[in-house]
Amino acid sequence: MRPSRVGGVLRGTLLSLVVAVMLLPVYAMVAVASASDATDLGGLGFDAARFGEHLTRLFGQGDFPLYLRNSVILSLGVAVLEVVLSGAAGYALAQLAFPGRRVLFAVVVGTLSLSPIVVLVPMYLVVRQLGWIDTFQGMIVPFAVSAFGVFLVRQFALSLPRELLLSARVDGAGELRIFLRVAVPLLRPALLTLFLLQFLAQWDNLLWPLVVANKPGLWPLPVGLSQLQTEYDFSAGLVGTAALVTAVPPLALMFVLQRYYVAGLTLGGVKK
Amino acid sequence: MTLTVRLAGPATTVSGRGQRWAEARAGSLLALPAAVYFLLFWVVPFAGAVWLSFTDYELAGVPAWTGLDNYRRLLGDPGFWNSAQVTALYTLASVVPSIVLALAIAVPLSRPGRLNGVLRALVMVPAAMPLVATSMVWSAIFADEGLANTLIGLVGGGPLPWLTDERLALWALVIMTTWKHLGLFVIILTAGLQGLPSGVFEAAAIDGAGPLRIFARITLPLLRRTLLFVLVIAVIGAMQSFVPAFLLTKGGPAGATEVLPLYLWATGFGFERMGYASAIAMVLLLAMLALSLVQFGVLRGGEDG
Repeated sequence: MRPSRVGGVLRGTLLSLVVAVMLLPVYAMVAVASASDATDLGGLGFDAARFGEHLTRLFGQGDFPLYLRNSVILSLGVAVLEVVLSGAAGYALAQLAFPGRRVLFAVVVGTLSLSPIVVLVPMYLVVRQLGWIDTFQGMIVPFAVSAFGVFLVRQFALSLPRELLLSARVDGAGELRIFLRVAVPLLRPALLTLFLLQFLAQWDNLLWPLVVANKPGLWPLPVGLSQLQTEYDFSAGLVGTAALVTAVPPLALMFVLQRYYVAGLTLGGVKK
Repeated sequence: MTLTVRLAGPATTVSGRGQRWAEARAGSLLALPAAVYFLLFWVVPFAGAVWLSFTDYELAGVPAWTGLDNYRRLLGDPGFWNSAQVTALYTLASVVPSIVLALAIAVPLSRPGRLNGVLRALVMVPAAMPLVATSMVWSAIFADEGLANTLIGLVGGGPLPWLTDERLALWALVIMTTWKHLGLFVIILTAGLQGLPSGVFEAAAIDGAGPLRIFARITLPLLRRTLLFVLVIAVIGAMQSFVPAFLLTKGGPAGATEVLPLYLWATGFGFERMGYASAIAMVLLLAMLALSLVQFGVLRGGEDG
């Protein structure tokens, strides 16, 4: 067995090297966050004291805390609405016969392949018509439901144990009660995946807030960051620190909820 | 897209009409918010986009029907052709290497083992980082005194003007994009590989087939469905990519990185020409649909996956 053992070690070493190279830019993010100015970007040294200074400045003055707050509101708002509304619709599509079900399902499937960029202009006009430019609802409501979310929950709800739902009906429980008490607990993994993916998507959404939020007071992190880059009193290191702070919540969520993250990403790509 | 479209049979009825009524009521109630949402934010906007693409509409005025004028103008618009070319090159150059690389990493990484488990978590890190924050870091990496030039200096090369040279800027974006999405593709392919029946591989190994032969004759064909999925999301993702070009180069220098979504955004929200921007959106949509269909045709060909 010796040759295959050597092969295994070799393979492990090679793979580790490849992954290390992939992580180099991630480390560069940490290094850049402690850079003093633009001429100091090329090194991989880390100056903890200067990084601390940058953090204090970032949170102590300027609009960064505001952007952070706005991003939390936006991401949480969208994720919660998604779970409630897409969850309800996905379950209904899978388990309940109601008028218009086929039409709704066709719309969901049709929308799956439409990208936001295609409807950017008219979606902006709809939001303007509603008087929602420069408001949180203008940023949140257009993402309150998604075809992906409805589809994800529906796929999952199709495999709910029929006997369980049936016996609840025989016991005389109402349909809404069955949904809340029997289905929702069973759908929790799918709902958690949906919450995670939508939170991350909004945390990183630049295009839509850029279009509907003109007031800096409403800017979430992506728009705020893109503006910091051009502000004259923001050094490269300070922008790097802002980027690093922005990257921490998604990375933490990804590691804690890795299972749900992978489940969401691989939906549809892998034969069940 | 790649998912099977199938409606479940009507839910099991318990007591005929009363149950049917209860279901219809609960179902309508649960689905109503989503139905209103899709109508207001997708059906109406989509119909609007189609209609606006046949009008002349500046944000301050009212849409005026101009028939095919916008599309005719697109054909003679050098800015549009430049963007179409940039998008095509960007898509091709970022999709092909990232899928080949992802496959090369996923095959050994899908084997069991503790080290591989750790590496699988680490490989996802770039993909899990926010694209906006990532773009800021890469603009520092590609800066004149940045890490990219430091590394080139180590092997004796001169510094390169990554983001300010017309021929280089798009390649800088391609490098960043490939790096950003590689982990995602690796994870999807790894999940696909782990789902393959191990018996076939054992049988092939017993028959004396070498690893390359096994890869070409067994792994690749069995992995078709997963590969198709990765290919479609990679192509669609690259074609609608906006953030890297917006943050790293603003479409410059001299339009060298002005991808179609950026051109669309600038036309609609920079110059407020909503009708013309909608025509660009329609062309982008048709191109994405056509490419998806071609990919289905090519990779599905003869086999149901």
